[in-house]
Amino acid sequence: MTKKYLRMTLNERMQHLNLAVNFTLLVITGFALSYSTAFWVSPITDIPMGMTFRGFLHRLCGVATVFLGGYHLLYLAFTKRGRGIAKDMIPGLKDAVDLWETLKNNFFINRPAKDLKMPRFNFREKLEYLGLIWGTIVMTVTGLILWFKTEWLQFFPMWTWDVARAVHFYEAILATLTIIVWHFYSVIFNPDVYPMSWAWITGNLTEHEMKEEHGLELEKIKARERGELKEFPETAVIVDRKAYALRHQRIKKEGREPLSVSGFYGIVQRFNEVIKNWKGT
Amino acid sequence: MKWREERNKTWMFLWGVLPIFLIFGWMIGVAWSDNSLCLGCHQDESLKKQDVRGRSISLFVSEAGFKNSVHGIISCSDCHTRIQDDVHAEGGKKAADKSVNCGTCHRQAEKEYLQGLHSKMIMKGTERAANCYDCHGKHNILGSKNPKSMIYVSNIDKTCNRCHADAVFVKEHALGAAIPKEEFKESVHGKTGEITCTNCHGGHSLRSLIDPKSTIFRSNIPQTCGSCHPDITKQFTESVHGILAARGRSDSPTCTTCHGFHGIKAKIDPDSPVHERRIAMTTCPQCHAAERISKEYRITTVPVKSYYDSFHGLSYRGGDTFSANCASCHGVHEILSSADPKSMIHKDNLQKTCGNCHPGASENFAIGKIHTVPSIKGEEFGEKVVGWVRIIYILLIVAVIGGLTFFNFMDWLRKTIDRAH
Repeated sequence: MTKKYLRMTLNERMQHLNLAVNFTLLVITGFALSYSTAFWVSPITDIPMGMTFRGFLHRLCGVATVFLGGYHLLYLAFTKRGRGIAKDMIPGLKDAVDLWETLKNNFFINRPAKDLKMPRFNFREKLEYLGLIWGTIVMTVTGLILWFKTEWLQFFPMWTWDVARAVHFYEAILATLTIIVWHFYSVIFNPDVYPMSWAWITGNLTEHEMKEEHGLELEKIKARERGELKEFPETAVIVDRKAYALRHQRIKKEGREPLSVSGFYGIVQRFNEVIKNWKGT
Repeated sequence: MKWREERNKTWMFLWGVLPIFLIFGWMIGVAWSDNSLCLGCHQDESLKKQDVRGRSISLFVSEAGFKNSVHGIISCSDCHTRIQDDVHAEGGKKAADKSVNCGTCHRQAEKEYLQGLHSKMIMKGTERAANCYDCHGKHNILGSKNPKSMIYVSNIDKTCNRCHADAVFVKEHALGAAIPKEEFKESVHGKTGEITCTNCHGGHSLRSLIDPKSTIFRSNIPQTCGSCHPDITKQFTESVHGILAARGRSDSPTCTTCHGFHGIKAKIDPDSPVHERRIAMTTCPQCHAAERISKEYRITTVPVKSYYDSFHGLSYRGGDTFSANCASCHGVHEILSSADPKSMIHKDNLQKTCGNCHPGASENFAIGKIHTVPSIKGEEFGEKVVGWVRIIYILLIVAVIGGLTFFNFMDWLRKTIDRAH
């Protein structure tokens, strides 16, 4: 059994799944309007009130995506892991160098190909994540203009609405094609992960995947395992090869109540232990 | 001499008056006769003759049918005035001039008929154009109130269809297309059972399509329909379409352009050409997106094109009937130019028109061009902006997606080649 490295917690996987479902529904219900006579739209147009239902579903998924974005911001701000993600997601010079070296590798300028050690989020992922944020903002703003046209057109001329409509349409094409070309290559067609990276289901990456895509992070994790694990007290709860300090010990150690998913997980685990060891009064 | 004169006078009187009495008596006798003289031969069902073409023609006359007809009390010879009794009785078939002139009694009907199309066609030599008896029958003519009558209101279409639904007949006489038997029956008019062919086409005075006095002459159609739908005709004749149609513009629509002819259906019927799903697909675009008409009259096709690309049009094309179609904003029969203060799309009325579907539409809502076509060369500022947005975005999409695709392809190529080694 090869060693596994946690890539996405259950919470993050649910966020991803939520986004995947909403995004797909938005793409289908959105382009079903723009290409309402296309053959693949017939399941929608053939049923009575199909187009009305399409519009409702599109708005519903839009609202869900906006709420998901809000939740994600809270997650980034108020969990330790979230703050770590936000910190690791900031693009830097290293990413530009990685991109440049990857290009040189790909054009066979580096012979043999240079073994790149990329951080927790490599330039591909940072690019996509930032693009996703940009796209979500654009689609939310233009989508709300289109939705609340009566209110919008109290203050702005008609042509602004037309612009919002054009932007919403072309940004949708850009976003959809980006997902197909960029994301699906990263997680499906990339020969390193083909047929698929299972991280979005299992939450784990294999050591090989870590080495190929996140070499720097792998070294960091190994260093931490060698050194920092000793700091955990003996009473730490070991779950699935991960160590969680018990709550009261962590309060003692950090001097305050830690607000984190793992902290909450620790509480639940401790509660489980209490129930399991219950001997009766 | 005197006596002789007297006697002569008496004889002269006798010789003069007696024949008059005799003739009158004979006439009265014939008139009041039970037609037994004629029916004696003609009630024989096997009585036949050969016509000039050698076809066998039955000479049978049903006595019961005749007695029950409206003409049951009159004599054969009242109509068959030209049959010379002695010659016919001798079997002089050629002498039997059978022609019957209904106009002797029915003068008004004859007058109307002679102005109509059928009589004109007969005069031109068309053998099978409808004569009196083609529609009314011969010996068994019944009153129009009798449900068995050929001209009873619900039987008239059958009577007409004997010729006009006959594909061979229609082809031989170049009548355009045969009227499918069921087409009128299934129409909204046919289903009432009270409206039939003659309501629109006229009866005896039925005229040609190209006769300006005809009820179905192009510019008379609104009046013909208006005999039952007066309010709609009033609306229509005041509309842009109605005004142009009245001036004889053959390309300006009239009732039938949108509603059809014989198979007119209720607008809620999906087969109706004015069903809400068709208004913006065929009804209006049949002219407003037609190349010939738009070229001839310099009507712009932009409204149709821009509508199809608008939210309203896209959703409508997908079957959304809540989405606005042409008629939602422009009206139906009362379509007026935007310059007309009564028009739904006059600038003072637009807020109300938009507000029909968008409650709370502000004054600002209704300002701004609706039928826009985004183009950097557009007439209006918004069209230009959207045109530029489109160009920038397309360039962006091509550059970004092209770049990403190329990057990934090279990545895949390198990894695949590395693996092969």
